[in-house]
Parts: sequence; C-alpha cells; structure tokens
Amino acid sequence: GDSGHCSEEDEEESDDGEEESEGESGEDDVAADAAMKEKIASEEEEEEEEEEEEEEVEEEEGGLKWKEGLQQKASDAFLRQQQAAPNLRKRVYGSVVEVDDSEDEEQELGGLFRVSRPQNSKKFQANAVDSSRFSPDASHNWELEEMLNSIRDCFVTGKWDESQDAA
Amino acid sequence: MASQGLAYDGCNFFRQRLVLSTLSGKRVKISNIRSKDDNPGLRDFEASFIRLLDKVTNGSKIEINQTGTVLFYMPGLLHGGSVEHDCNMQRSVGYYLEALLMLAPFMKTSLKATLRGVTNDHTDPTIDMLKSTALPLMKKFGIDGEGFDLKVVKRGMAPGGGGEVFFSCPVRRTIRPVQLTDPGKIKRIRGVAYSVRVSPQMANRIVDSTRSVLNQFIPDIYIYTDHMKGANSGKSPGFGLTLVAETLNGSFLSAEMSSTPQGQGDPMLPEDLGRNCAKLLLEEVHRGGCVDSSNQSLTLLLMTLGQQDVSKVLLGPLSPYTIEFLRHIKDFFQIMFKIEVQKPSEDKRKGGDKVLMTCVGVGYSNINKTLK
Repeated sequence: GDSGHCSEEDEEESDDGEEESEGESGEDDVAADAAMKEKIASEEEEEEEEEEEEEEVEEEEGGLKWKEGLQQKASDAFLRQQQAAPNLRKRVYGSVVEVDDSEDEEQELGGLFRVSRPQNSKKFQANAVDSSRFSPDASHNWELEEMLNSIRDCFVTGKWDESQDAA
Repeated sequence: MASQGLAYDGCNFFRQRLVLSTLSGKRVKISNIRSKDDNPGLRDFEASFIRLLDKVTNGSKIEINQTGTVLFYMPGLLHGGSVEHDCNMQRSVGYYLEALLMLAPFMKTSLKATLRGVTNDHTDPTIDMLKSTALPLMKKFGIDGEGFDLKVVKRGMAPGGGGEVFFSCPVRRTIRPVQLTDPGKIKRIRGVAYSVRVSPQMANRIVDSTRSVLNQFIPDIYIYTDHMKGANSGKSPGFGLTLVAETLNGSFLSAEMSSTPQGQGDPMLPEDLGRNCAKLLLEEVHRGGCVDSSNQSLTLLLMTLGQQDVSKVLLGPLSPYTIEFLRHIKDFFQIMFKIEVQKPSEDKRKGGDKVLMTCVGVGYSNINKTLK
C-alpha cells in the first residue's frame, strides 16, 4: 500500500517537474527565438545598408569597375578550368563517338541515290590506318632553348633530388 | 550482337580486336570494312595478317563475305611452334610482329617465327625498335629465358622488301605483375644507323648530325652503324635510324625514322634524318614515363593478363591507339584501369604530364601450355 502511494506521489512530482521544466524551456525557446529574430533583423538591416553602400560606390566609379582585379579573375578562371578539365578516365571509358549512317540516309537525291561524304569530321575514324605510332605534338619546337630546358632533368646530367645521389 | 560475340565497325584497330579475341576466346564480327571506299573490303595486308593468325592457332574459324566488308572470327587455341610467313609488302613486318609479341607468351609450344617482307618503313615500328624496347619490357613481366630473341637476318626497305626477321619466344603459364612507377634518369643513348644499297657513308652522316643535337644533354651516346650487303640487303635502297634512351631503372624510350621509300615523295638527306630523329627522341623524353609511346598497348595487355595482383605503370600521354586499346580491353576482359594524371612540379624540368595506370590482373593462365 505505502509503496504504491509513494510511487504515485513520486510520479506526480516527477510529472510536475517535467511540466515545469517544459514550461521553462518553452519560455527559453520563445525568448531565444525573439532574440534570434532581433539579431537576424538587425543583420539584414546591416546587410542592406552595406549593399546600399556598395551600390553607391559602384555608381561613383562607373564602368571602370570591371577592370579591377583582372589578373585575379583570369587566374581564378584558369584554375576553375583546370579543375573542370575532363577526367581522363571518363574520356577513355565514357561515351565513344561512333559512326552512324543515319545522316547519310537523310541526304537523298530523288529518293534513289545517296550522297556519300567522307567522314573527315568524325572523331572516331572507323576506317583509318591501323598503326600504333603516336605522332609528335606539332606545337613543340625542339629548336628553342626553352623546350630543351623543359626536359634537362630527365637526364643524369640534370639536377638531382636531394634524396637521391648521382653516385 | 551474339551472346558471346562482340561486334565492331570499320577496319581500324583490326589487329587489337583479333588479338584480344584470340586471347579471350570471344568471337568477334567486324562489319563495314571500308564499305564506302572506292576499293571496298579487306586489303591484302589484312588478309595476310589473318593467314598468319591462322598459322599460329589451331581450329580458328574465319568467314569473310564476298566483298570483304564483313569478317567473322571465331578464335581457336594458340598453338605456336615453327612458323614461316611471307608478309605483305603494303605494311612492314613490324605490323605483324606487334601482334605476335602479344600472342607469343601464351602459345602451346614456344614460337619460332620467320617473317619475310619489309623490315623498316614509316608507318610501323621497325624490328630494330621492337628489339630494343619491347623485348626488355616483356622481360620485366617475367617473359624471359632461353630462346627469347628477335633478329634481323636480312634487311629489306620499303617498297621492295626482301628482308627476313627471326623471332622466338618462350611460353609462360602466368605473367608477373609489375610496379613501374619511377623511370629514373636517362643514363645513355644507343642507336642503330642502318643503310642498304646506298653508300655506307650515309650511316656515318646520320650519326654525326644526331650527335650534334643529343650531345647537349648527355655525352654517353653510341650509335652503331649497320650496313648490310649483297643478299642480306633486300631489294630497295634506303637508310634510317633508331634511337633508344636507357634510364637508370631500366626503362627504354625510343624514336626512329627511315628514309622515304624509293619513288615515293622527295628524297631525304641523311643529315636531316638524323636531326629530325633526335628531335623525335627528345619529344619521347618529354612525354616520358616508364614505357615509350609505341609499347603502351603491349604493357597494358600484359598488366591485364597478369596474376590477380595490382600492377602499376607510369606512362606518358596516352596515344589514340592506346585509348582505343583500353576500350577493347574493357570489352574483352571487363578490366577497367585506374587512370591518374600526374603533373610534374614546376621546379623540375621533367617534361609533360604523366599518367599512372593501375589495374588488377584477371589472373589469366595459359591453358594452352603443355605441362612437362
């Protein structure tokens, strides 16, 4: 009997406690929300003010603004392009440009003859010469000192890493 | 497309398709072979290649339609043994040998092939180049031992030919995986300047002009002069040069050039040939990697067919031929390589971007090989 009563009281007490705590937390939340709203509002106002200031500055300097930091912009664009350079694996295993004959079928003359055009534009030359030879990069001019210097360290006569030794 | 067969269009990459088909045992059908050409169908050199393939295999089934625009190939077992073949003059022996190098380690009995035809021309790697680059490369994959040899018995220049090449290769049951990630620095340059049916002085003139370019990099240059006479000199005059740069870690980078065939285009001075060939070697050094551009596909094939372990090889930029080869490896063996681009650091003067190729071998074992 006693034990059961006690337990009920405990439960009630605990319930009360919970309610109280909930109520407190609720009040806290409300207070916090209010504070946040105020903060956000103030920040927005500040931002708006800043934007207005910036706009004013832009208006003052006029069309010359775009010339600022051109070098920075160019280098950013270059880096972006470098990162976006197509993944080699994708280029190898991705879509293969295949020769389709559908184009030729469209170009019919009088419904009887077909115009057969050489497939020079196609990347994938189905009937090209089967050779493993890799033609050199035409942009490399091996007369130039600059080009020669680009491979100097490939030879034992070049500069060595600190970890390595020529001996 | 048949359930096991693969279908392709066009005559390009003809050899790699048939070689991979033979190794994987998958049937292949190639259609639209020069179907829009004025002279449609397979050329004589391709027919000659099919005949060679028929000689080294047992039970292959080849069907060609009447115009030669469609080819169906069902591979048999690689047999090997002693083979003699008269290669068509339209392409040099290198065209045929490139495929044989890929097939030879997987034969039933070791291959002893005698190939006759043009040994040196423009379009294909010459025998001298394959001897000095492909053979040491294959040794790294464990294909080595007695009777691994390639030699020019008679030299035959385009267009007349009349050359003879002997190739023998031992068989292996498995291929060793490799880790070739650091080529090392180039320690010496070797070469062969050959001349047939012209003045032997031509070779010396080539050597002098080549040295003038390469001496600014390294003093250790030796270029052999090879002048073949009489019956060993083939039917057409010509000369040429093969250069090989050897690195400290045993990688070989090569470049080559041969004179314009008699009666085709402007004749070339030996001095120009030497200088241009030296520049081609510099280009190859700029590309770099542990394997030169003409042996990329052979390397990738041996990596694919290795034991079930990781293989890594550093290559220069991938050639269009190699890229297509990778696609074909995916089709025939379902192996995709991991391809990582390595950019050299700016303070190092080591040429262009390199590509690190990684794969796990399919664990191919040579079921044709006889057990002793």
